[in-house]
Amino acid sequence: MKRVLFAVIFSFGFGGVGYVVLGLYPIGADVPHTTLTYGLLEFVRERSISRASQDIEVPNLESPDWLLRGGADYNDMCASCHLKPGKVESDLSVGLYPKPPNLSVIHTGHTYDAPSVEGQARRQFWIIKHGVKASGMPAWGPTHSDERIWAMVAFLQRLPELDSEQYQILTARGEGQHEHH
Amino acid sequence: MYKTITHVAAYGALIILPTFVLAHEETEHGKTAESPRCEAMSAMDHSKMKKGDPVMQAMMKKCMKTHANQPKKEMEASHQQSANHKKEDSHNH
Repeated sequence: MKRVLFAVIFSFGFGGVGYVVLGLYPIGADVPHTTLTYGLLEFVRERSISRASQDIEVPNLESPDWLLRGGADYNDMCASCHLKPGKVESDLSVGLYPKPPNLSVIHTGHTYDAPSVEGQARRQFWIIKHGVKASGMPAWGPTHSDERIWAMVAFLQRLPELDSEQYQILTARGEGQHEHH
Repeated sequence: MYKTITHVAAYGALIILPTFVLAHEETEHGKTAESPRCEAMSAMDHSKMKKGDPVMQAMMKKCMKTHANQPKKEMEASHQQSANHKKEDSHNH
C-alpha cells in the first residue's frame, strides 16, 4: 500500500515538474486558467489582501474635494481598464486576463464574503497602493501620496451611483481644479 | 573613458527619470484637461438630489468654479481680440 501511494505521489510530482519545465502550461492571456488554478489564485489574492489591509485606518471619505480630486485621477489612470458609466468594455478590459472588474457597477456576486463599506475602502486603498502581481494592476504607491489614493477610494465608493453626465462633471480636470487642500 | 561614459549615463538618467515622474503630477494632466459639461446639470432631476450629498456638492463646486472662470476668460478673449484689431489697424495706416 505504501509503495502504491509513493508511486502515485512521485508520478504526480514528476508529471507536474515536467509539465512546467517542458513549457506546456498555456501562459497566453487569451487562454483562461483552469477552474482549479483560477480558484486557487483568487483565494490566495483575497486572503492576502484581507490580511494585509486589516489594520488600515479609513479616513472620512465624505468630502466633495476628495471626489473631485479622486475622480480626475480615476478617469486618467483607471477608467481605461475599470470602465466608466455608460461603457461596458474597452480594448484593455477585453484583452486583460484576469479581466479587470467593472468598477462603475455594483458587484453583487462576490465569491468570498462581501466586506463592509469600511472593509471595502481598506481593500481598495491597499490594492491601489500596492497593486496585484501578474494581474495588470500596477502599484500606484511609489508615485502617489496616500492622500491622493484615499481620494480615489472616496470616488470609487460613489462611482456605481453616477450616470455618465455626473461622471463627466466630476472627473473633468478643466477650469482651475488644481487647488490642493 | 569607461568612467566618463558611466557618468554621462548616470546624469542622463537623472535628467530623464524626473520627466516620467512628472507625468503623474496632477498639474501635468491639467494641460490636456477637458472642461466639465455643466449645462447637463440643469437637465438633471433635482428632486432626487440631496443638498448635503458630497456628489451634489462636488458638482456644484466644480461648476461654480467653471462659471466664475468663464467671464474672466471671455474678457481676456475680447481684450486679445481688440488688441489684435488695434495692431492690424496700425499696420494698415
